[in-house]
Amino acid sequence: MSGEEPRIGVFVCHCGLNIAGVIDVEEVTEYAKTLPNVVYAVHNRYTCSDPGQDEIRKAIKEHNLNRVVVAACSPRLHEPTFRRCVAEAGLNPYLFEMANIREFSSWCHPSTPREATEKAKDLVRMAVAKARLLAPLKPLKVPVTRRALVLGGGIAGINAALDLAEMGFKVYLVEKKESIGGHMAQLDKTFPTLDCSICIEGPRMVDVARHPNIEIISYADLLSVEGYVGNFKVKVRKNPRYVIAENCTGCGECRDVCPIEFPNEWDMNMGVRRAIDIPFAQAVPLIYTINRDHCIECYKCVDACGARQAIDFSQEPEEVELEVGAIIVATGYDIYIPEEGNLYGYGRYSNVITALEFERLILAAGPTGGHVIRASDGKRPKSVALIQCVGSRDINKYEYCSGFCCMYTLKHAIQLKEHYGREVEVYVFYMDMRSNFKGYEEFYRRAREMGVTFIRGRVSSVIEDPETKNLIVRVEDIALGEPVEVEVELVVLATAAIPSKGSDEISRILNISRGADGFFMESHPKLKPIDTPVDGIFLAGACQGPKDIPYSVSQGCGAAARAATILSKEEWEIEPIIAVVDPTKCRNVKVKCGICATKCPYGAIKAPQGQPAQVITAMCHGCGTCAAECPADAITQMHFTDAQIFAQIRAALEENPEDKILGFLCNWCSYAGADLAGTSRFEYPPTLRPIRVMCSGRVDRDFVLEAFRLGAGMVLVAACHLPYDCHYISGNWRMKERMEVLARMLTKLGLSPERFRVDYISAAEGVKFAELITEMTRKLKELGRERIVAENQKLKPVLERMLSRKRRAKTGS
Amino acid sequence: MPMKLQKFETDEQLKIERIMYARRYSLTLDKRRCVVCELCEAVCPREAIRVVKPEDGEQAPPRLEIDVELCQYCGICNAVCPFGALELKINGEKTIPVVKFESFPRLIRDIKIDAEKCPVGCTVCMDTCPLKLITVKVVDEEGRPVENVDLYPEKERLKVTVEIEKEYCPVCRLCEYKCPYDAIHTQKIIYGHISVKNELCPEGCRECVEACPIPEALQISEDGRVVANDLFCVYCGACRIVCPVEGAISLERTVIRHTPVHSGAWNKALEKLTSTKGMAKELRSRALIKVKESVERRLA
Repeated sequence: MSGEEPRIGVFVCHCGLNIAGVIDVEEVTEYAKTLPNVVYAVHNRYTCSDPGQDEIRKAIKEHNLNRVVVAACSPRLHEPTFRRCVAEAGLNPYLFEMANIREFSSWCHPSTPREATEKAKDLVRMAVAKARLLAPLKPLKVPVTRRALVLGGGIAGINAALDLAEMGFKVYLVEKKESIGGHMAQLDKTFPTLDCSICIEGPRMVDVARHPNIEIISYADLLSVEGYVGNFKVKVRKNPRYVIAENCTGCGECRDVCPIEFPNEWDMNMGVRRAIDIPFAQAVPLIYTINRDHCIECYKCVDACGARQAIDFSQEPEEVELEVGAIIVATGYDIYIPEEGNLYGYGRYSNVITALEFERLILAAGPTGGHVIRASDGKRPKSVALIQCVGSRDINKYEYCSGFCCMYTLKHAIQLKEHYGREVEVYVFYMDMRSNFKGYEEFYRRAREMGVTFIRGRVSSVIEDPETKNLIVRVEDIALGEPVEVEVELVVLATAAIPSKGSDEISRILNISRGADGFFMESHPKLKPIDTPVDGIFLAGACQGPKDIPYSVSQGCGAAARAATILSKEEWEIEPIIAVVDPTKCRNVKVKCGICATKCPYGAIKAPQGQPAQVITAMCHGCGTCAAECPADAITQMHFTDAQIFAQIRAALEENPEDKILGFLCNWCSYAGADLAGTSRFEYPPTLRPIRVMCSGRVDRDFVLEAFRLGAGMVLVAACHLPYDCHYISGNWRMKERMEVLARMLTKLGLSPERFRVDYISAAEGVKFAELITEMTRKLKELGRERIVAENQKLKPVLERMLSRKRRAKTGS
Repeated sequence: MPMKLQKFETDEQLKIERIMYARRYSLTLDKRRCVVCELCEAVCPREAIRVVKPEDGEQAPPRLEIDVELCQYCGICNAVCPFGALELKINGEKTIPVVKFESFPRLIRDIKIDAEKCPVGCTVCMDTCPLKLITVKVVDEEGRPVENVDLYPEKERLKVTVEIEKEYCPVCRLCEYKCPYDAIHTQKIIYGHISVKNELCPEGCRECVEACPIPEALQISEDGRVVANDLFCVYCGACRIVCPVEGAISLERTVIRHTPVHSGAWNKALEKLTSTKGMAKELRSRALIKVKESVERRLA
């Protein structure tokens, strides 16, 4: 096909009156016929309708078309439709191009039909120019390993694993700790129903252990993940328990003879465990573990185990390699422990405890047998203060709301009242009571009806009476508008939920990003709340942000469903708009370059020393950042090649370039924002000539230079908002770095700074887009044609020199 | 309340504490009883106890240091100290977990006193005891102490009692040898050999003699040589700690008398305290070969 002379058919759509009401479609069609390689042009009422599509299919056959351009609406709307249409006629779907003359012309320039028609002609010319250079592409297919990895065995991970296992997929559930269960297993009761936490979680944990499709790999660390969607290779290290899992019956006779006690971290160091033990009675898998840091090797356990011979002091760490098609990250959260004496006297005063410590206190199986007592004297407190938002909603600590603390504080208040009734006074110090979701507000009412005192205000300090060890809580009561002091015998701090300790490492190993708050970033906050930017890796539960139990469970199930969309297929299709390296041009062969590998947001490029860089196609998301960064122009992004984009630039600026603004718009935010300006009928001047790229990271500095060389009035590069909106993780950052340097250089060369603009438009900012173009056009007029032409004349020879190495691309070969 | 690890030190004691919400551990070193010997440091499984020697030029005796982060309150040091200088308490109660769980033996302090043989008025043992652990009392028929014997009318009805604070006694046997009436019979806790290579000793050095808790065990002879006496040596090794020349004092422990036990931790401690030979000998002699085999099988 590539050797064949292009035979292009152009189809101009009326879209009823949507386009034809403003634009002279006849004129556009006639104009299209004059363009090189266009052998057929026609206009029809609704190109996307069945008769319209029939017409395309028929024309392809009759006129032997090998390229199709449809001038109609946004490619974001109907590109897939027409691709399918041309494919049905036997044409490769990537030999199709769209000119968006509705959202970008008729709808946003209704009062200037003449200019709108001229713009439509330009858009068609640009599309035809690109179409001439289109190449057929084949969707890439990768086989799918139909197994899943779930990282983290908390309640979210448990549900994700169970759902996938029930769907018939093999699941590896990797847990760092000795037992699955997560934080939920540490809790006493759950809000708002007050059912016992382990009583409802325990059976689920057992289900996991018993399920034939689930393999629990506990007491293990994630070492590395390689590969891509459908084909991940995961290395996990199983830490030695010094107990042979198959032989251990979980009887606990070894524990009973062990002389060594050490603080049980799982019990918030409030209780103890033995050197051979399980963290808690309901542990799953029920396998004892020897902590060699503490074991004195008296081998009493060996004797106690006897003929079962489950104890093996010679065990070594074992590395296992798993092959999976999808990964669910459910690594949960940690509880913020205030640094010693830093917040409300925690660590300095014995009777100030955290809420999680309170859970262990009031839990019947806890270290005090369920008795709420004070550490200072072992007596039951007659008054308790529950202080909320400790560390959360605090710009000096953690800015965000931890979400579930209001509810568990209410639960603690109710539990205290249920246990001790009138014998205990309970005060809740809160900023706002957040009790949304089902049954939560009723729970709040219940606490109030039970006689809990609610005081609204941020606690300023807690001080201890050195004699009684009571605590004086100082707060400005917002309701009264005056400072209040309350003396209590016990203070419980509802501390923030924070990203779990290993998040940094997990994000590095999996190449998934973290937000400003440290939690993992979802792919899109609204529509892809479970996906990560890496295909095939999904998030569940509190690792993405603090969540309560029902929310974590739902997300676990959601993540399982998302993973199943991959695992249920034999093969996974990847859009072929990926990057390709020309090994003959790659500098990395001769010198140490590797720029592409460092700039790729997905780590999809490998540049081993002395060898040309390689793109791991299945990991490539097609942003084109590498193609723009490559100093040797050795990388091509398929369907968005340098030659194609240069052709578009040249077509756009063929006539009166000084009056035009050439815009590079990223597909996901800016182009969508511009579409929205059109669909919202926000009118702006018809000066813009847009070029769609998948990501602003694709915008090569040479594109900008070429535009100015050709005399463009202005150049705009529009991207997703910083810092986290980019759909390719960090393409907008790479573009920003590149363009800042370029802008400085152009200004130095004599370009008026306002002629080169970088801006950020979200898909929702139609108004902003219209205002931006209006403002730029006003400035363009202010500068005046003469000044622009003068600047251009001065710049041209310099830019020609700089672009000389692009000559080949310019000829389009 | 987070778990707290604390340390207090006075001239008389060094105390570390682990305070948990509902449990409190403490380990106290009584500096008045501690002779700064080798034993606890050698057996501590976590290397939490260390003998700190003075730096060059510093004029200070060596001292014991206990690491509050490392100690796990197992009580091995408590069980092994012949001078009873260490004391472990959990929730205020004296306890030695490793002994309670039969993971570690107690030392056998075999001291028999037949006070019937003691004449009223003799206090040789009391005066002899270098650690001042013996109390000799004269009592009447009802067991009431008699202050002034001379004033008591019927002297033949008086009795003598001899009490030894056994838990602090390293059994040096001095009292036994000094007793003129053969009233005391003891057996050492630790058997072994000690000798001093005087040719290696720096001129005029008396460090070992001064460090030795038993005055008769290391002495300066008339010609200025240091003489070791196996008869009274308790083989604690305090001398070796202060000795400035390596190899000048050779000290070997061969047998340690202890309550029966069947434990890898003790075997390891025993090996450190005596030698592999010493441990093997004990294993053989106490028909624990089976245990040894099972341990070795697992360790192989």
